[in-house]
Amino acid sequence: MRAIFRFGKIGRLKFVSHLDLQRYMQRAFNRTELPVAFSQGFNPHPVMSFASALAMGWVSEYEILDVKLDKPIAKEFALKEMRNALPPELPVYEVKFVDDRHASMMSLVKMSDYEIEIFENMDKIKEAAREFLLSDTVMAIRKTKSSEREINIRPLCVYLSSQDNILKCRLMLTEADTLKPDLLLKTLSEMASIEVPRAQIKRTRLIGLAKSGRETPLMEL
Amino acid sequence: MNLSNRIDEMMAKVMKPSRYLGSEFGSIMKNPEDISVRYAFLFPDVYEVAMSHLGMKILYHTLNKLGDVWCERVCSPWPDMEKLMEENDVPLFSLESRTPVKEFDLLGITLQYEMSFTNILKALELSGIALYQKDRQDGPFVICGGPCAYNPEPLCDFVDVFTLGDGEEAIHQTVDVYKRWKASGAPREEYLKMCAREVDGAYVPSLYDVVYNENGTIKSVTPKEGSGAKELVFKALVNDLTAADYPEKLIVPYGEVVHDRIMLEIFRGCTRGCRFCQAGMVYRPVRERSMDRLLEIADKLVKATGFDEISLMSLSSGDYSCLPELAHEMITRYMNKRVKISLPSQRIDTFLKDTLKETQKVRKTALTLAPEAGTQRLRDVINKGVTEEDLIRAVTDAFEEGWSAVKLYFMIGLPTETDEDVLGIADLAEKVRKAYFSVPKDKRAPGLRITVSASVFVPKAHTPFQWSGQLDKETVIRRQKMLKMELNKVKGVDFKYHEPDVSYIEAVFARGDRRLSRVLDEAVKLGCHFDGWTEFFDNEKWMKAFENAGVDPDFYAARNIDVNECLAWGHIDSGVSQAFLKREWEKAQRAETTQDCRKGCVGCGVKRYGGACE
Repeated sequence: MRAIFRFGKIGRLKFVSHLDLQRYMQRAFNRTELPVAFSQGFNPHPVMSFASALAMGWVSEYEILDVKLDKPIAKEFALKEMRNALPPELPVYEVKFVDDRHASMMSLVKMSDYEIEIFENMDKIKEAAREFLLSDTVMAIRKTKSSEREINIRPLCVYLSSQDNILKCRLMLTEADTLKPDLLLKTLSEMASIEVPRAQIKRTRLIGLAKSGRETPLMEL
Repeated sequence: MNLSNRIDEMMAKVMKPSRYLGSEFGSIMKNPEDISVRYAFLFPDVYEVAMSHLGMKILYHTLNKLGDVWCERVCSPWPDMEKLMEENDVPLFSLESRTPVKEFDLLGITLQYEMSFTNILKALELSGIALYQKDRQDGPFVICGGPCAYNPEPLCDFVDVFTLGDGEEAIHQTVDVYKRWKASGAPREEYLKMCAREVDGAYVPSLYDVVYNENGTIKSVTPKEGSGAKELVFKALVNDLTAADYPEKLIVPYGEVVHDRIMLEIFRGCTRGCRFCQAGMVYRPVRERSMDRLLEIADKLVKATGFDEISLMSLSSGDYSCLPELAHEMITRYMNKRVKISLPSQRIDTFLKDTLKETQKVRKTALTLAPEAGTQRLRDVINKGVTEEDLIRAVTDAFEEGWSAVKLYFMIGLPTETDEDVLGIADLAEKVRKAYFSVPKDKRAPGLRITVSASVFVPKAHTPFQWSGQLDKETVIRRQKMLKMELNKVKGVDFKYHEPDVSYIEAVFARGDRRLSRVLDEAVKLGCHFDGWTEFFDNEKWMKAFENAGVDPDFYAARNIDVNECLAWGHIDSGVSQAFLKREWEKAQRAETTQDCRKGCVGCGVKRYGGACE
């Protein structure tokens, strides 16, 4: 069976890279009594994966860690062990267990919800957001490790709204179609003809699709 | 914006922000209101190096055991961060609470290598602490310990107190004295005098007068009258390591650090008496930690950290009296927990076939051997009690057990060295190759790799070679090239060697005196820092610094010192007597060896102080 943990990444720990977090989690498992399954081979490591990597500098209350277990355990025990092994800036919120045949959490991710807290020029960003929502096409340059490509990002934004100085959005997050919140913010800033404002990005949920096709938080799938 | 937020603002702009985060698992947070002494422990290099240092872990642990003392870590910011801090007026801060270093009561600095000295000055500058000790009216007392404190003289102008020897107990004494001094309301100088009188191994440089001869050599170093400072300062010594404090929790870093594992110090000191080796002299006598205690510590640390590797640490792990039992027990105990055991500084003549077999079960890295010199004559000069036969037997054993990678460490420029000695290194590499092919093909692992590394010899204080000048750069380079040509003829050998410039500066400071403080000051002003890192070491700046300070570096690095001359570090007593060192220096010239002192006392002088050696 597999344990699916939802945890947060907050405070100073937002500056820990994804790679470092992976290594850190491996060690954290060693500090627990959880019956984590290990890979075979010369350098065995826990069989685990994250649903989605979080960029350095972003905080999150919806990180998903998917780890294989050798035998079933109780929820309370799983939570207690993980909470003891992790610092307060990596709070463990909940856990559920799934069958080994259950699709990997990584493959289920389709979208992500974000809150972008904006520290300056919020009025101009709001205006740009309105214009963005009224457009069919908003071109922006998406940079990946290997390429730079101009794409239409409008369809990649499922929804966008604002409340006080926070932009709330649901953005596509699949291998083929991804819009990152920092690119959205940069695009809105360009539309408003301002410098990209200082902002804090927070991931609030990872979203997959239920059998009915309904957008559903990953932990509820 | 508060300091912590200002630091966070910079995190998006620096490489590896995890260096500055603190809040790792195992780091210690306390409520400042409960604290009477705040201690900042600075390792003057980047985080990844600092976090690999055992001494800091021990002292951090032992201080934080006290409820009213809070020890926090401080590291040198990497140059990108350093620049940002200067631009944004952000002072040097502690990792745990992000408190400016200047607000601490005591600032402990570890002196691990001479090339970190500029980083110490830079750290004081970034902290806003007066650089020169004599100008310091507020801020923490600056206390330095570690191996380079055995010749503290180049740093004397910047440091309040040096502590020599083992820190586990002495560091508590510096804290206790601080509490009493603080309560007394006495002036700043009084703390220094109290340390000089009451703290084991404390050396307070401002309480001494140095007089020079006309030819630039030192005439005398004497305590100021009425200061209470000792004429000869003996190091602090912890005689029972089994009873001594050892961390039972460790900080687990986020980013990758140099030694990302549990370090288990199995013993301190070395009985071998290699004449070039400062550690082998100044850490005497040998003090072992009991096997039971080591297993107890290992168990606790594995549980507390989640590390999957344990290194057995010491100057010569093969000499631990119960090594086979210890290695066997640890390997069987942790096999199922997937914890690897590694023996880092292996000595060839104590290499145990059985232990080799045990280690093999867990993993097989390169076999590391340090013959240090290429010929028997030169190995006798340096008293490296190892023969070619020992070496070939050890590698043959290892090849038979399935090893195929060997690293061989040597030095170039050892006293009395000739071209022939250097060519002997290539000869030895060839013999190692032959040993590999002497093992039947079906019994050996494929892919022989031999790495030959040759560093440049640096004479160090408190060793028999302290009187020897360093070999001149031209000859070093010629011999490096010669060896490279010769090693080209041996198939499968990778040769690594260093530019001699860094070793030259190291030699200057290793045998330097107080007149070098000007040079350090100039060097930092010219932008020298992180000099142990090839990408930052700038020889031209150093030469300019010597010129600006009016100091001739050759006087320190290249000169053969007369055995009757007053040494800059002569008032420091590492336990090993100058008389013994002199005898050893004379024997070296005659290529006479001295036995390992486990086979019988060689009269090094440590016995004078009783304790573990009796």
